[in-house]
Amino acid sequence: MNLYEGMFLLDNNVVREDWNEAKATATGILEKHGASVTTARRWAERSLAYTIQKRNRGTYLLVHFEADPANISIMRRDLELNETVMRYLILTCDGVPEGEAELHEAELSADFSVPEPPEDHVVDSDEEEESEEGEGATEEASEEAPAADAPAEEAKAEETPEAEEAKTEEAEAPAEEAAETSEEQTEEKSSEEA
Amino acid sequence: MARPVKKANRPCDDPRLDYKDLETLSKYLTPQGQIHARRRTGYCSKCQRELKQAIKRARHMGLLPFVSS
Repeated sequence: MNLYEGMFLLDNNVVREDWNEAKATATGILEKHGASVTTARRWAERSLAYTIQKRNRGTYLLVHFEADPANISIMRRDLELNETVMRYLILTCDGVPEGEAELHEAELSADFSVPEPPEDHVVDSDEEEESEEGEGATEEASEEAPAADAPAEEAKAEETPEAEEAKTEEAEAPAEEAAETSEEQTEEKSSEEA
Repeated sequence: MARPVKKANRPCDDPRLDYKDLETLSKYLTPQGQIHARRRTGYCSKCQRELKQAIKRARHMGLLPFVSS
């Protein structure tokens, strides 16, 4: 028996009807093949980075479970066939992270209620435009940062040739002065000799 | 003139990069969603592979974009 970490992307249509039912479909597949679930909790409800099965939002379920390595491939097949689970990721892990058990228990307690989804997001196709707007806003923010850096770098590049010219001018000026003084000195010497 | 590139210095014994840590991973993506080259990240080859693996896992789960225009 190995310890595994599983992340499941669940269909929001099912999640909004009943979170526990959606959770049970994922954990049920694991338990069907002899896995013992240590922790299972709602990780996040997010807008997806790209459209998956015509959905722009989804709910992530994070599970830690112990299972026989031989059964993992059978679980994968069942997860592929299941329509509630849109994507899954099963990784081996060394141990259950700290705080994970507490979050798991907090979700099991009677006080837990699934947070309401944002009002402007419904999973229907009519609302796709709104979610695209949301993505656009984050992209703009990420583009601003490199753009701010680039002009500063260009400014540095422009400054340096001018600075070099200034230096060369300065260097020439003292050399000329020195030449003049040396000529004056030679003239004085020649007058003294005369 | 070669532009100075800000390098990230990450000691190799730091905790492993996790695909769930999106704040960290998104720092290593270009605005188009490509992974930064090693000359930009400053990572050793082992850390860069770890970064690549974490970003690709996050992309599979729809957490990070493959391409964003």
